[in-house]
Amino acid sequence: MWTIDVLRSRAFRLALAFAAAIAAAATVVFTLIYLQFSSASEHMVGARLSDEATRALVESDDELRAQITQRLASDLLRLDYAGLFDANGVLLLGDPPSLPPIRPDGRPHLVDSVPTRGAGRPDQAIFVAVRRADGSILVLGRSLSEINDLRGTVARALALALAPTTILILVIGAFFARRAQRRLGSIHAAIAEIMNGDLKQRLPVKSEVDDLDRVARGVNLMLDEIWRLLDQLRHIGDDIAHDLRTPLAVARAKIERGLERGSTIEELRSAMAEALNHLDRSAATISAFLRVSAMESGRRERSFGPVDLSAVCAGLFEFYEPLAQSKGVAIALAAPRPALVRGDEDLLREAISNLVDNAIKFTPEGGRVLIAAAAADGRATVEVSDSGSGVPPQDREDIFRRFYRGARDGAAQGYGLGLSIVAAVAKLHGFCLTVEDNAPGARFVLRGDSMVFDSDEATRDIGAAAPKRLKTSA
Amino acid sequence: MPQTASIGAKPAVLVIEDERALAEEIRYELQAEGYPVALAETRAEGLRVARAGGAAVLVVDRMLNHEDGLSILEALREEGNPTPILVISALSTVDDRIRGLKAGGDDYLVKPFELRELTARVEALSRRIPDSRATRLRAGPLEMDLVERSVRRGERRVELLPREFKLLEYFMRRPNQIVTRAMLLEDVWNYKFLPQTNVVDVHIGNLRRKIDAGGEPRLIVNVRAAGFKLHVDD
Repeated sequence: MWTIDVLRSRAFRLALAFAAAIAAAATVVFTLIYLQFSSASEHMVGARLSDEATRALVESDDELRAQITQRLASDLLRLDYAGLFDANGVLLLGDPPSLPPIRPDGRPHLVDSVPTRGAGRPDQAIFVAVRRADGSILVLGRSLSEINDLRGTVARALALALAPTTILILVIGAFFARRAQRRLGSIHAAIAEIMNGDLKQRLPVKSEVDDLDRVARGVNLMLDEIWRLLDQLRHIGDDIAHDLRTPLAVARAKIERGLERGSTIEELRSAMAEALNHLDRSAATISAFLRVSAMESGRRERSFGPVDLSAVCAGLFEFYEPLAQSKGVAIALAAPRPALVRGDEDLLREAISNLVDNAIKFTPEGGRVLIAAAAADGRATVEVSDSGSGVPPQDREDIFRRFYRGARDGAAQGYGLGLSIVAAVAKLHGFCLTVEDNAPGARFVLRGDSMVFDSDEATRDIGAAAPKRLKTSA
Repeated sequence: MPQTASIGAKPAVLVIEDERALAEEIRYELQAEGYPVALAETRAEGLRVARAGGAAVLVVDRMLNHEDGLSILEALREEGNPTPILVISALSTVDDRIRGLKAGGDDYLVKPFELRELTARVEALSRRIPDSRATRLRAGPLEMDLVERSVRRGERRVELLPREFKLLEYFMRRPNQIVTRAMLLEDVWNYKFLPQTNVVDVHIGNLRRKIDAGGEPRLIVNVRAAGFKLHVDD
């Protein structure tokens, strides 16, 4: 699947940039070698020529001529120049045919165009000229054609090496680009399905742990969480729909029947009253739902402050005592010492009130309800226990779910709403809410971190100031 | 509001509510109780009528067609207008309530509400308990000494528990006025929630047994679908 996309992919573009960088680096290296090589050879040739010319100054005329002849004769590659010119610059012996345009100072000079022996293009050469005692000029030189040839070879080698390297890098780049693209392609496909609503789809993860995998794993965890939340939301939606629609449906039925069959004002009135009752239930559900949602959205309200759970319990005990008495239920309070927590007093009071409300509601005549608050070992506890029918073990988790109605429905309404608010308040405070077997009956326990006192003295002071909180009535 | 200015004995009420159906219901209910009622649908109209004077109580919906009803309160209060205001709102969190009261509301009612609850609150606002420093309260045959914490009905001394005393004091400060359960919870117990059981009725029942002995006529009467009333002849 070598498509244009491969060439566009990030991996391939990286390879391209990489190839360019390699080529640039290689060129720099080769250029440096080339320059170093050229200057070193020229320098060497020049030094040797200077040396030879200086030595030749002391030679006799005959000897010099013999050496020139020999030098030229042994120069099979015709790289060397050796010539003797008279004071006027006329060639006496050897090569080149005319005096090169340099000063006879015994130092190497580069001459770009030397008239060559025979045909061919002008040669580049290094020359050294010295003036002898008789005024004649000795010229020694060496053609640079050999060096130039070597230069060409180096340049060609560079070009030859660079091209395959670049191509190799591009091929490898394309290979990785394709691999990366295949993985990205599968990820894209998964994302497309997720966007189309299949939230159970997950991004493919390979066994190897690379950065792409890590991102994919992260996204998958995120999807898990979204899925969980959506699922929760859907459940809530179902619960709400059920809890709202049921009373609405009943209210509607009552009104419908009243309209169809109600022949007297009394019949209409009773139908309307019943309908109103069910509408109120819907409204109560909406209110409870909104409150629980607001609390579950988890804002810790600024209204948090120190709350004495014992005082709250004492207040509620007093509030509910007449109700319990009227139902023939014995209610007792055990909150002898302050139990301070950080929280919202109104919400905590409402939560505990719901527990007490339920306890009284579900306890038959002659039963007992106990409200207890205590603080020990950094934990504050509120217990509301009753001697009613209790909560079966299998329901102990469910009853705190939003708007759950256990088997106790019917006999006493509103059980679910109340407990879901208690659960939400507990969660908002970071408290733990459990229900235990009170044998017989249920014991609801609300447990949270208590506020720490600096000393026992503080505890005693507050304890003494608070009214007596150990009461029982029947 | 010339058309509604003090027709009957009851003071005029201005209802600023953009939901026509609800506004009509409120008007019907208040008029049935004898209040002259004017309706306004927008913030501008409401402000204009309120500024014109004549309304003794304002009922303001917090959300008026994307306009903030609370800004009406703020504007009026800034102008030094002290008319009592009842805010009705679909927003029910404690924060919302506090914001509503801070903006200048005197009471706050969450939708959906019972119409009787609304009229009871309007009545309470229109009567505005004078902040009396009196140490004695009197209502019909009842007499309460706030210093001695004692209560008498006629010649008979009535022994009350502290919570019953507080409850009766609340009624005696509002003779012949409808008091709802929610009002009692908020004002007497300072509870901001409605219990699911009839706790308040039980408290009232206990109080009644103590103040109405033998064949004495009942002083705290039930008001159907609304609450209670301390019924005394003036």
